Amino acid sequence: MNDPVSALEDMDFVHADTRQSVIGKLVRQLRIDTVVHLAVVIDSPREDRATHETNVIGTMNVLAGCAGPSSPVSRLVVKSSQAVYGARPEYPSLIVEDSAGIGRADSPVSRDLAELEQLTHDFALRNPGCRVARIRLGYRMTRETSLGRYLSLPLVPTFAGFDPRLQLLHEEDAAEAIARAALGDQEGVFNVAGDGVLVLSQAIAIMGARATPVLPPYGRWASRVAVRFATGVRIPAHMADLLMHGSVVDCSRLQTEFGWRPTYSTRAVLDAFALGQTEEPIESPSPPQEYELQVYLQRRRRERRNGHGSAALALSR
Amino acid sequence: MSRLPADDLYSGTQSQRRRTSRNARVVNAPPPLLRLPRTMRRLQRQAPMLAIHALSELSGRLRDLTGHELIDMARVMELMQFVYRQQQLARRGADYAVDDFGFDAEWTESFLPLFKILYRDYWRIETAGIEQVPAAGRALLVANHAGVLPWDGTMIKTAVFAEHPNPRHVRALVASLFMGMPVLSWFLRRTGQTVGHPDDTRRLLERDQLVLVFPEGVRGTGKLYQDRYKLRRFGRGGFVSTAIRSGAPIVPVSVVGSEELYPMIGDATPLAKLFGLPYFPITPFWPWLGPLGIIPLPSKWRIQFHPAIHVEVHPPEAADDQNLVMALADQVRDTIQQGVYENLKLRRGVFV
Repeated sequence: MNDPVSALEDMDFVHADTRQSVIGKLVRQLRIDTVVHLAVVIDSPREDRATHETNVIGTMNVLAGCAGPSSPVSRLVVKSSQAVYGARPEYPSLIVEDSAGIGRADSPVSRDLAELEQLTHDFALRNPGCRVARIRLGYRMTRETSLGRYLSLPLVPTFAGFDPRLQLLHEEDAAEAIARAALGDQEGVFNVAGDGVLVLSQAIAIMGARATPVLPPYGRWASRVAVRFATGVRIPAHMADLLMHGSVVDCSRLQTEFGWRPTYSTRAVLDAFALGQTEEPIESPSPPQEYELQVYLQRRRRERRNGHGSAALALSR
Repeated sequence: MSRLPADDLYSGTQSQRRRTSRNARVVNAPPPLLRLPRTMRRLQRQAPMLAIHALSELSGRLRDLTGHELIDMARVMELMQFVYRQQQLARRGADYAVDDFGFDAEWTESFLPLFKILYRDYWRIETAGIEQVPAAGRALLVANHAGVLPWDGTMIKTAVFAEHPNPRHVRALVASLFMGMPVLSWFLRRTGQTVGHPDDTRRLLERDQLVLVFPEGVRGTGKLYQDRYKLRRFGRGGFVSTAIRSGAPIVPVSVVGSEELYPMIGDATPLAKLFGLPYFPITPFWPWLGPLGIIPLPSKWRIQFHPAIHVEVHPPEAADDQNLVMALADQVRDTIQQGVYENLKLRRGVFV
């Protein structure tokens, strides 16, 4: 976790590790009423063991800190991911939050997320005074995510004979969903992902790359090792499933309960990412004003190209 | 307020900026390494046209000689159009959209000429009662399933798209097993099929689509040659509940002819287990002749669409009434079975 780069007013920034039980003390001493738990790692370059520690043990500590009759917490938002469903051929084409028989995926990340959500669900049952929302964010495309790095390759190795549907979520929409959840009081599980779908070959064409269907559909472990060795891109187990069978969720519950849906469609997310590849990253933000100016200029440029002006303006307000 | 200098720098699209750039230079395309003589180049350009002329000449001569239309130029032109359309589609790059189920209508329609050849010339399909399929709005088509590979599904789709006054795409429901197979999974999704899951059926019907379901499932395609005209059990009637819930009429469809595509004389269960398949067919040609065994026999087909059974008159709560659901499922099954027997009588022989 990095320190905030620009000046923060009326805000305190405390370093703490969720793997140790400091949250309870912090919450009670400062009389905190809203907790947004985002320390959930879905796409990590680290070992699965460390991820498990952060996700499950960390969540347990956060929940333990917020539990109890003496707790001032009345609102808890927990980040989860679309990866909790995994991807399987027998799933319905649009996955609803509580379709029967879903959530038995066998990749480590999906198992961790399922456990974390179960813990959160139990917490919500035992603490009726606290309104709990679990937000299942869609797959995001940035330079840091595996999906983003994978699609940025000039020759993209794909599974032979498969062309799955992809659904993406823009970073700004993910942030807004979390913010809306923190300020609202809706309870339950919510899928958050962009409208519409793209097929993988289409996504690769938009990125200006070339699909090479070279990975055999059986023995996926070997394929993942081979891709990592040849290109340096790590494909987590749940992403290998995604690249074979695809996963699309239904966000109608988000729409009805929050009255809001992500502003970027799947296509717009990918277009923005493809254009962003040519954009230079912001360097050395020395004074805060300089940083904000650069962010502003980049946003203006992006709006011009995509025609997302109104959406970005609404977000900045 | 003065404009920021960066605004001018970054205004316009990328190509506009490239055009107005001070550093822009005009670059000619490099000459090809091998430049054919002019006559050869002209020939190359005109080759398709010349081929069509030659074929039509040949077709005319053959007609005069034998008195029969041996090469039908209309069909040749259809095939040429198919090739041209494929080239066009290959050029569209990422400029297309699929729906939430992965259906690409443009791409699917481009395959129609190929399926029409099978429909008209290979299986000589006679379709009756196409007007029973509603021209607009939702409906659930329920058909019998036979033949080792689901050719009956593709032919029902072709029938509705090619023969209906208002061409519509039928979305068939497929066993999840096939959705996990390479090549099949993308082809099926691209052409509008989806998983046989109640959620998917309801969603498609709510979008006013035509949905095709084979309640017999793989038990239907995997039946032996001796039971070929006998319908299998219709599951637990889940398709009826879904139709009642989404207020869609059921149109029963009887298909005759798909039963004889691959006369399945045996089922090698151990091999099926090994490959994770529901059955492993043994026919007189498969697996003995290798890939040649996959060629279906040219049987004569009849497809009949029956009058719709209006299950949407029942309130949505009736979907949980197992008694009613099973009764309706039996009614649909009987209609289809009767249709199969009647069409067998109308057909003169298996191959004529």
